[in-house]
Amino acid sequence: MSIRLQDLRVGDALPALARTVTREDVRAYADASGDQNPLHQDDDVARMVGFSGIIAHGMFTMGHLGACVAAWVGDPANIVRLSAQFRAPVFMGEEIVAGGRVRSLDEETHAVVAELWVTVERDGKTEFAIRKGEAEVRLPN
Amino acid sequence: MNQAAEGKTYEPVPFDVSEDRVNAFHDLFGGPPGVPPTILTAAEFTVFPVVMGDPELALDFRNVVHGSQEYEFHRPVHLGETLTVQARIASIRHKGGNGFLVVEMRLNGVDGEMVAIARSTMIERAVSA
Repeated sequence: MSIRLQDLRVGDALPALARTVTREDVRAYADASGDQNPLHQDDDVARMVGFSGIIAHGMFTMGHLGACVAAWVGDPANIVRLSAQFRAPVFMGEEIVAGGRVRSLDEETHAVVAELWVTVERDGKTEFAIRKGEAEVRLPN
Repeated sequence: MNQAAEGKTYEPVPFDVSEDRVNAFHDLFGGPPGVPPTILTAAEFTVFPVVMGDPELALDFRNVVHGSQEYEFHRPVHLGETLTVQARIASIRHKGGNGFLVVEMRLNGVDGEMVAIARSTMIERAVSA
Protein backbone atom coordinates (compact mmCIF):
# COMPACT_ATOMS: atom_id res chain seq x y z
CA MET A 1 0.00 0.00 0.00
CA SER A 2 1.30 3.40 -0.96
CA ILE A 3 -0.20 6.80 -0.41
CA ARG A 4 -1.00 8.99 -3.41
CA LEU A 5 -0.52 12.73 -3.55
CA GLN A 6 -4.08 13.34 -4.74
CA ASP A 7 -5.46 11.61 -1.65
CA LEU A 8 -3.50 13.77 0.81
CA ARG A 9 -4.46 17.07 2.42
CA VAL A 10 -2.47 19.42 4.64
CA GLY A 11 -3.28 18.50 8.23
CA ASP A 12 -3.89 14.80 7.54
CA ALA A 13 -2.61 12.56 10.34
CA LEU A 14 -0.12 9.76 9.75
CA PRO A 15 -1.38 6.45 11.19
CA ALA A 16 0.05 6.35 14.73
CA LEU A 17 2.40 3.49 15.57
CA ALA A 18 2.76 2.27 19.17
CA ARG A 19 5.15 -0.15 20.82
CA THR A 20 6.35 -1.04 24.29
CA VAL A 21 10.10 -0.70 24.79
CA THR A 22 11.78 -3.65 26.49
CA ARG A 23 15.27 -4.33 27.74
CA GLU A 24 15.60 -7.08 25.10
CA ASP A 25 14.71 -4.60 22.33
CA VAL A 26 17.30 -2.10 23.50
CA ARG A 27 19.92 -4.83 23.84
CA ALA A 28 19.15 -6.04 20.30
CA TYR A 29 19.30 -2.44 19.06
CA ALA A 30 22.77 -1.96 20.55
CA ASP A 31 23.97 -4.92 18.48
CA ALA A 32 22.11 -3.92 15.31
CA SER A 33 23.30 -0.30 15.41
CA GLY A 34 26.72 -0.71 16.99
CA ASP A 35 25.89 1.83 19.72
CA GLN A 36 27.13 0.02 22.82
CA ASN A 37 26.93 3.02 25.18
CA PRO A 38 26.43 1.51 28.68
CA LEU A 39 23.80 4.17 29.45
CA HIS A 40 21.46 1.90 27.49
CA GLN A 41 22.56 -1.37 29.06
CA ASP A 42 23.78 -0.87 32.60
CA ASP A 43 21.38 0.46 35.26
CA ASP A 44 24.26 1.52 37.52
CA VAL A 45 25.76 3.70 34.78
CA ALA A 46 22.33 5.21 34.07
CA ARG A 47 21.82 5.99 37.78
CA MET A 48 25.21 7.69 37.96
CA VAL A 49 23.98 10.27 35.45
CA GLY A 50 20.68 10.76 37.23
CA PHE A 51 18.21 8.36 35.57
CA SER A 52 16.19 5.75 37.47
CA GLY A 53 17.51 3.03 35.16
CA ILE A 54 18.63 2.49 31.58
CA ILE A 55 17.01 4.54 28.85
CA ALA A 56 16.43 3.65 25.20
CA HIS A 57 18.83 5.04 22.60
CA GLY A 58 17.42 8.21 21.04
CA MET A 59 18.05 6.45 17.76
CA PHE A 60 15.94 3.50 18.90
CA THR A 61 13.02 5.89 19.22
CA MET A 62 13.89 7.45 15.86
CA GLY A 63 14.10 3.94 14.35
CA HIS A 64 10.52 3.41 15.48
CA LEU A 65 9.54 6.79 14.02
CA GLY A 66 11.26 5.85 10.74
CA ALA A 67 9.18 2.65 10.60
CA CYS A 68 6.02 4.73 11.15
CA VAL A 69 6.93 7.00 8.21
CA ALA A 70 7.98 4.07 5.99
CA ALA A 71 4.70 2.26 6.70
CA TRP A 72 2.81 5.43 5.78
CA VAL A 73 4.60 6.02 2.45
CA GLY A 74 4.75 2.29 1.66
CA ASP A 75 8.33 2.31 0.39
CA PRO A 76 11.30 3.60 2.42
CA ALA A 77 13.03 4.54 -0.86
CA ASN A 78 10.57 7.47 -1.12
CA ILE A 79 11.91 9.11 2.04
CA VAL A 80 14.33 11.89 1.11
CA ARG A 81 14.79 13.45 4.54
CA LEU A 82 14.12 12.42 8.14
CA SER A 83 14.95 14.45 11.23
CA ALA A 84 14.22 14.44 14.95
CA GLN A 85 14.93 16.36 18.13
CA PHE A 86 15.34 14.26 21.27
CA ARG A 87 13.52 15.88 24.17
CA ALA A 88 12.79 13.26 26.82
CA PRO A 89 14.23 9.88 27.84
CA VAL A 90 12.32 6.62 27.33
CA PHE A 91 12.49 4.04 30.13
CA MET A 92 12.06 0.28 29.93
CA GLY A 93 8.45 -0.93 29.91
CA GLU A 94 7.10 2.36 28.58
CA GLU A 95 4.93 2.64 25.51
CA ILE A 96 6.04 5.03 22.78
CA VAL A 97 3.65 6.29 20.12
CA ALA A 98 4.97 7.69 16.83
CA GLY A 99 2.77 10.03 14.86
CA GLY A 100 2.69 13.05 12.61
CA ARG A 101 0.69 15.22 10.27
CA VAL A 102 1.07 16.54 6.75
CA ARG A 103 2.47 20.06 6.73
CA SER A 104 2.86 20.76 3.04
CA LEU A 105 2.28 19.26 -0.40
CA ASP A 106 3.93 20.23 -3.65
CA GLU A 107 1.87 19.30 -6.71
CA GLU A 108 4.80 19.90 -9.06
CA THR A 109 7.62 18.02 -7.35
CA HIS A 110 5.34 15.55 -5.52
CA ALA A 111 7.20 16.38 -2.32
CA VAL A 112 5.25 15.95 0.90
CA VAL A 113 6.55 17.29 4.21
CA ALA A 114 5.21 15.89 7.48
CA GLU A 115 5.77 17.09 11.01
CA LEU A 116 6.62 14.17 13.34
CA TRP A 117 6.72 13.30 17.01
CA VAL A 118 6.98 10.39 19.44
CA THR A 119 5.08 10.61 22.72
CA VAL A 120 5.20 8.71 25.98
CA GLU A 121 2.60 8.93 28.78
CA ARG A 122 4.32 9.41 32.13
CA ASP A 123 2.76 10.33 35.48
CA GLY A 124 -0.45 11.37 33.76
CA LYS A 125 1.38 13.69 31.39
CA THR A 126 2.28 13.43 27.72
CA GLU A 127 6.03 13.73 27.25
CA PHE A 128 7.66 14.14 23.87
CA ALA A 129 10.56 11.71 23.42
CA ILE A 130 10.86 13.26 19.96
CA ARG A 131 9.39 16.53 18.83
CA LYS A 132 9.83 18.84 15.88
CA GLY A 133 10.69 15.84 13.75
CA GLU A 134 10.25 16.17 10.05
CA ALA A 135 10.05 13.85 7.06
CA GLU A 136 10.12 14.81 3.41
CA VAL A 137 8.92 12.15 1.01
CA ARG A 138 8.71 12.13 -2.79
CA LEU A 139 5.73 10.25 -4.09
CA PRO A 140 5.81 8.54 -7.49
CA ASN A 141 3.76 10.16 -10.24
CA MET B 1 35.40 20.76 23.62
CA ASN B 2 38.24 22.10 21.63
CA GLN B 3 37.00 24.71 19.17
CA ALA B 4 40.07 24.12 16.99
CA ALA B 5 38.74 20.69 16.03
CA GLU B 6 36.05 22.34 13.90
CA GLY B 7 36.41 21.26 10.28
CA LYS B 8 38.43 18.17 11.06
CA THR B 9 37.74 15.19 8.78
CA TYR B 10 38.24 11.52 9.54
CA GLU B 11 39.38 8.54 7.49
CA PRO B 12 36.61 7.11 5.29
CA VAL B 13 35.33 3.74 6.50
CA PRO B 14 33.31 1.17 4.51
CA PHE B 15 29.84 0.06 5.57
CA ASP B 16 28.02 -2.91 4.02
CA VAL B 17 24.27 -2.58 3.70
CA SER B 18 24.04 -6.31 4.31
CA GLU B 19 20.93 -8.44 4.42
CA ASP B 20 21.72 -9.38 8.03
CA ARG B 21 21.88 -5.74 9.04
CA VAL B 22 18.67 -4.82 7.25
CA ASN B 23 16.91 -7.89 8.71
CA ALA B 24 18.03 -6.93 12.21
CA PHE B 25 16.37 -3.51 11.77
CA HIS B 26 13.22 -5.06 10.29
CA ASP B 27 13.01 -7.56 13.15
CA LEU B 28 13.17 -4.69 15.63
CA PHE B 29 11.02 -2.06 13.99
CA GLY B 30 8.89 -3.79 11.35
CA GLY B 31 7.90 -1.55 8.46
CA PRO B 32 7.50 -2.29 4.75
CA PRO B 33 10.15 -4.14 2.67
CA GLY B 34 13.18 -2.10 1.62
CA VAL B 35 16.15 -0.54 3.39
CA PRO B 36 14.90 1.35 6.49
CA PRO B 37 16.06 4.99 6.63
CA THR B 38 17.64 4.69 10.07
CA ILE B 39 19.96 1.90 8.90
CA LEU B 40 22.32 4.88 8.47
CA THR B 41 22.75 4.95 12.25
CA ALA B 42 24.67 1.69 11.95
CA ALA B 43 26.77 3.26 9.19
CA GLU B 44 27.52 6.24 11.42
CA PHE B 45 28.64 3.96 14.22
CA THR B 46 31.52 2.66 12.10
CA VAL B 47 33.15 6.06 12.77
CA PHE B 48 31.20 7.73 15.55
CA PRO B 49 33.15 6.27 18.52
CA VAL B 50 36.39 7.46 16.89
CA VAL B 51 35.06 11.03 16.69
CA MET B 52 33.59 11.02 20.21
CA GLY B 53 36.83 9.68 21.66
CA ASP B 54 39.16 11.87 19.62
CA PRO B 55 41.64 13.46 22.08
CA GLU B 56 41.92 16.49 19.77
CA LEU B 57 38.17 17.13 20.15
CA ALA B 58 38.43 16.71 23.95
CA LEU B 59 34.74 16.01 24.40
CA ASP B 60 33.58 15.27 27.95
CA PHE B 61 31.50 12.33 26.70
CA ARG B 62 30.17 11.45 30.17
CA ASN B 63 28.08 14.61 29.94
CA VAL B 64 26.99 14.27 26.34
CA VAL B 65 23.42 13.80 25.14
CA HIS B 66 22.13 13.32 21.64
CA GLY B 67 20.26 16.53 20.82
CA SER B 68 19.03 15.93 17.31
CA GLN B 69 19.55 13.87 14.20
CA GLU B 70 18.97 14.39 10.51
CA TYR B 71 19.24 12.12 7.47
CA GLU B 72 19.15 13.49 3.96
CA PHE B 73 18.95 11.01 1.08
CA HIS B 74 20.27 11.94 -2.36
CA ARG B 75 19.19 8.58 -3.71
CA PRO B 76 17.74 5.43 -2.11
CA VAL B 77 20.15 3.14 -0.25
CA HIS B 78 20.35 -0.26 -1.97
CA LEU B 79 20.43 -3.61 -0.25
CA GLY B 80 23.85 -5.23 -0.67
CA GLU B 81 25.78 -2.09 -1.58
CA THR B 82 28.88 -0.84 0.20
CA LEU B 83 28.88 2.76 1.33
CA THR B 84 31.89 4.82 2.30
CA VAL B 85 31.34 6.82 5.47
CA GLN B 86 33.36 9.96 6.05
CA ALA B 87 32.92 12.02 9.18
CA ARG B 88 33.60 15.72 9.57
CA ILE B 89 33.25 18.00 12.55
CA ALA B 90 30.88 20.47 10.93
CA SER B 91 30.59 22.90 13.83
CA ILE B 92 31.30 23.51 17.50
CA ARG B 93 29.30 26.16 19.33
CA HIS B 94 29.08 27.18 22.96
CA LYS B 95 25.88 28.61 24.38
CA GLY B 96 24.70 29.00 27.95
CA GLY B 97 27.50 26.85 29.30
CA ASN B 98 26.61 23.96 26.98
CA GLY B 99 28.62 22.88 23.98
CA PHE B 100 26.93 21.96 20.71
CA LEU B 101 28.80 19.63 18.39
CA VAL B 102 27.56 18.85 14.89
CA VAL B 103 29.10 15.77 13.30
CA GLU B 104 28.32 15.43 9.61
CA MET B 105 28.85 12.20 7.74
CA ARG B 106 28.85 11.79 3.99
CA LEU B 107 27.85 8.41 2.72
CA ASN B 108 29.04 7.72 -0.80
CA GLY B 109 28.43 4.84 -3.18
CA VAL B 110 31.21 2.75 -4.75
CA ASP B 111 31.49 5.10 -7.71
CA GLY B 112 31.88 8.09 -5.40
CA GLU B 113 28.37 9.51 -5.87
CA MET B 114 26.79 11.00 -2.78
CA VAL B 115 24.05 8.76 -1.39
CA ALA B 116 23.18 10.45 1.90
CA ILE B 117 24.26 12.90 4.56
CA ALA B 118 23.81 12.23 8.27
CA ARG B 119 24.00 15.05 10.81
CA SER B 120 24.16 14.43 14.54
CA THR B 121 23.99 17.23 17.08
CA MET B 122 25.54 16.26 20.40
CA ILE B 123 25.14 18.45 23.46
CA GLU B 124 27.96 18.57 26.01
CA ARG B 125 26.10 19.66 29.10
CA ALA B 126 27.55 22.12 31.55
CA VAL B 127 28.72 20.34 34.69
CA SER B 128 27.14 21.87 37.76
CA ALA B 129 29.58 22.62 40.52
